[in-house]
Amino acid sequence: MASSLLHQTTQCFFFNNQLKGLSHGFLWRPPCSSFGSSHAENRARPIRASVDTPPFPLFQPPKQQESASELEPADPDFYKIGYVRSMRAYGVEFKEGPDGFGVYASKDVEPLRRARVIMEIPLELMLTISKKLPWMFFPDIIPIGHPIFDIINSTNPETDWDLRLACLLLYAFDVEDNFWQLYGDFLPSADECTSLLLASEDELSELQDPDLASTMRNQQQRALEFWEKNWHNSAPLKIKRLARDPRRFMWAVGIAQSRCINMQTRIGALTQDANMLIPYADMLNHSFEPNCSLHWRFKDRMLEVLINAGEQIKRGDEMTINYMSGQKNEMLMQRYGFSSPVNPWDVIKFSGNAQIHLDSFLSVFNISGLPEEYYHNNFLANDGDTFVDGAVVAAARTLPTWSDKDVPPIPSAERMAVKELQEECRQMLGQYATTSKQDEKLLDSMPNAPRTLEAAIKYRLHRKLFIEKVIRALEIYQDKILF
Amino acid sequence: MASNSIHSNLLPKSPFNHFQTSSYLVGSFPAGILQVRVGFSNSRRVPSYSCIKCEKKDEYNIEHVSVERPPYYSYMDSTSGQLEPASGARASVPEQEYWPEGTASQVRAARAPAPGGESSSSPSYGSKPGSRRKNYRVAAASSSTIDVGSSDPAPSDEASLEESIEDTQDSSSEFVVYQSEPEEEETGYDLDKKLGNPHPFIDPRVKKKIEGTLPDEELWWNWKKPEKEQWSRWQRRKPDADTVFLKAMAETGQVKLYGEHPTLTETSLYRARRHLYKEERLQAEEDRLEEVGPIAYYSEWVKAWRGDTSREAIQKHFEETGEDETAQLIEMFSHQTDREYRIMMGTDVRIKRDPLAMRMKEEQIKQIWGGDPVYPTVNYIQDPNEVIDYRGPDFHEPTPNMLSYLMEHGHIITRDELNSILAKEKPEQHEVTDVDEAMAKAVDIGENDDEEDSDVEDEEEDGEEEEEKISRNWSVLKSTPELRQSKAKAKKEGPMSLDEAIDDSENLTDFLMDFEEEQE
Repeated sequence: MASSLLHQTTQCFFFNNQLKGLSHGFLWRPPCSSFGSSHAENRARPIRASVDTPPFPLFQPPKQQESASELEPADPDFYKIGYVRSMRAYGVEFKEGPDGFGVYASKDVEPLRRARVIMEIPLELMLTISKKLPWMFFPDIIPIGHPIFDIINSTNPETDWDLRLACLLLYAFDVEDNFWQLYGDFLPSADECTSLLLASEDELSELQDPDLASTMRNQQQRALEFWEKNWHNSAPLKIKRLARDPRRFMWAVGIAQSRCINMQTRIGALTQDANMLIPYADMLNHSFEPNCSLHWRFKDRMLEVLINAGEQIKRGDEMTINYMSGQKNEMLMQRYGFSSPVNPWDVIKFSGNAQIHLDSFLSVFNISGLPEEYYHNNFLANDGDTFVDGAVVAAARTLPTWSDKDVPPIPSAERMAVKELQEECRQMLGQYATTSKQDEKLLDSMPNAPRTLEAAIKYRLHRKLFIEKVIRALEIYQDKILF
Repeated sequence: MASNSIHSNLLPKSPFNHFQTSSYLVGSFPAGILQVRVGFSNSRRVPSYSCIKCEKKDEYNIEHVSVERPPYYSYMDSTSGQLEPASGARASVPEQEYWPEGTASQVRAARAPAPGGESSSSPSYGSKPGSRRKNYRVAAASSSTIDVGSSDPAPSDEASLEESIEDTQDSSSEFVVYQSEPEEEETGYDLDKKLGNPHPFIDPRVKKKIEGTLPDEELWWNWKKPEKEQWSRWQRRKPDADTVFLKAMAETGQVKLYGEHPTLTETSLYRARRHLYKEERLQAEEDRLEEVGPIAYYSEWVKAWRGDTSREAIQKHFEETGEDETAQLIEMFSHQTDREYRIMMGTDVRIKRDPLAMRMKEEQIKQIWGGDPVYPTVNYIQDPNEVIDYRGPDFHEPTPNMLSYLMEHGHIITRDELNSILAKEKPEQHEVTDVDEAMAKAVDIGENDDEEDSDVEDEEEDGEEEEEKISRNWSVLKSTPELRQSKAKAKKEGPMSLDEAIDDSENLTDFLMDFEEEQE
């Protein structure tokens, strides 16, 4: 019932990205000019699904000028309140678009050998709680003496990390002179938050995914129970005023879930796994090929946001990190409230025996690398090829494949397998209530939809797009089988 | 005196200025008031009685008297030509590569520009999260009221600082760059400087002679022989502080000396006189303080206090307001300016003091207080070829001939004398018995050890006298080795006591001399 704890260690980043970053300057990032023009019939979404936090999908619009005009610089107080407390942002600025905040480069950066720091956030601004007992709260927002401490104490450290963080966040809003009182104004409000915890039943049903819906219902139930248990009528006022209604508490849990960063922090000599709510670093959006990563500098207890080594960044590029690697859209939706059509880890369950030859599939689309790190190899491909994106990579992973060293594929068998798989995909698409086109129309017709509804519709839309992409990829594969 | 040291830092602007003999000070504070004074100084800073009322600004037209020679904290460095601190100049700051760990990040954080721009919203302190976002909608209102796109446009002047900097940088490239006139080629000194060839520090065309340089004779690094020919440096008069002072006084005409240099008598005499004068002046000040009262006394240093300071006025004030003398004193001091305070305490460096110490000649000053540690005096030079003479004024005669000295005192005698003395101490001459030369020269082979002892004894008893004689003449023994053995044995038996001899002998008949011969 509880969401799984997914670690986001830096090692994972570099492992994922190093191969990509070092050998290829631009990965999957098509030249922007050709992007919109080619594949006119294919309103393919961009490869990089950069998503705002709190969960907001920010699609890269077809023309880049639009995105530039939609983005406005954030409220200057946003950086000021951090600057006064010795947080620094070097060469980046915070911009706000229709879908939320984002961090954008304000000047060009050459690809360096060393990771370059773009933001450093001191420990004093964060809300941290360690996973294991004894509870260590950093910094001194120790709620000892406040009844919230007992509530936190009563949670299960293994599973209730989000509830703990939500309690801490609500408590921080109540502490005088706390940074989060100021920073909370820049967090997405309950209306803007796309976390499905705040979604109603209808919205959950709009997901068209019963598993995810039930998971979210469980989560909501759990959070609600927790609130009812601890915010009952006879709770002390100190507790009561933290969350007067359950919706606020759910919002806090949603914030905690989507913005929590799990890091191994070393303070002094002690290394601890900590759940942290980090003020400015949580405004970074997600991308499957991120250009930034997080690093904990223990010397002065700062969290650094680093541009990965070898990343070429132009002015106005968005800084992104990888929230969760290796998870399908369902997990992203559940935890962060967004989804992406180009999730390279998406999974389609195929039944049946049809299998295609892995090596030829990979070579058709110029995907190289080990199965854990498939990437599109730009050097082999023509540069004009923009079809391959995360969805194709996911297809390479999820499609049932066979590979037997040197055994060549039999073309007829391959074609048959491809046809079978395509048929199966179409069946899956048919099982949905709506088609992707209908979903898009629906989205366009509702500019003011509640965010959760939007997110739900987008989720199913992405799923369908993904399947459609798989079908197309199989089509292309069929054509390009070499003999 | 202890009181002198306490009072020593107070300088009154007193009518005693014409006593310029010394820096001793006239103003005296009895110990009692001094303690109060210390209390005052504290209360002036944190006035509990009254706030600082002095509105009067210190005069702007203070005449800038030439200050005394500044304390030696800095000097003009001869190598760089810049002012340099005396106590350890700073090493140059190293490059970034050499900075310790973490310094680079600290510097970067400090250099980051502060964000500019004004915010249009205000914080809600936790009550309305998300209220300062652009897309914030009131929670209760329906979502259709405010369109997403028509959120309040952020004023353009809220652009962050970095953006504006970028803009200016971009716009500056649009300006036309005018080409400056072609520069002439450099030659000579300038060319050398540009290319990095060895060149003098200062352009020789522009170089001026430094003003105020001393002639060679007076340069400190110029070796200068001492003026008078002396065979010992100790012949120079040792400069005693009092003596030097007295000499300076005599030079300025304050005192008349008998001769050129002051004698010890004169020195002590004038020292006593100075002491007495100082005591007198201190006493006079104390008397005045007692007579006039503290407020009147100290009002000399508080110009802003126009009130009546006589005793009656103070008494009247006390009756009226209940403030006693101390409180009124504090009140008066709260009108004192900083400058006046410094003058009163004697710590104002701008007051030109004129003690004799400052008007003494350089030489005299150096004799007492030493010279400049950085630019040492000429007298500090050392002749590298000089043979240092550590002998003092009460230098004794050179070490005499030890031998003759000892001889004179009878510690040593000559060898001849010794021999003669020894010769006089010769032992008594016994009658020389018939020495059986063959017996005397007989060498004891030592075949029979047991019997031999008795034989040897017999032999020795015969020639005992003779051997005694021989044994005394040890030089003879030295040359005749065959006699040594017998001598040893004789010596062994000689001093034996009777009892020992009885014990030693085999039978009593041993003692009978010539026993065997008689029996024979």
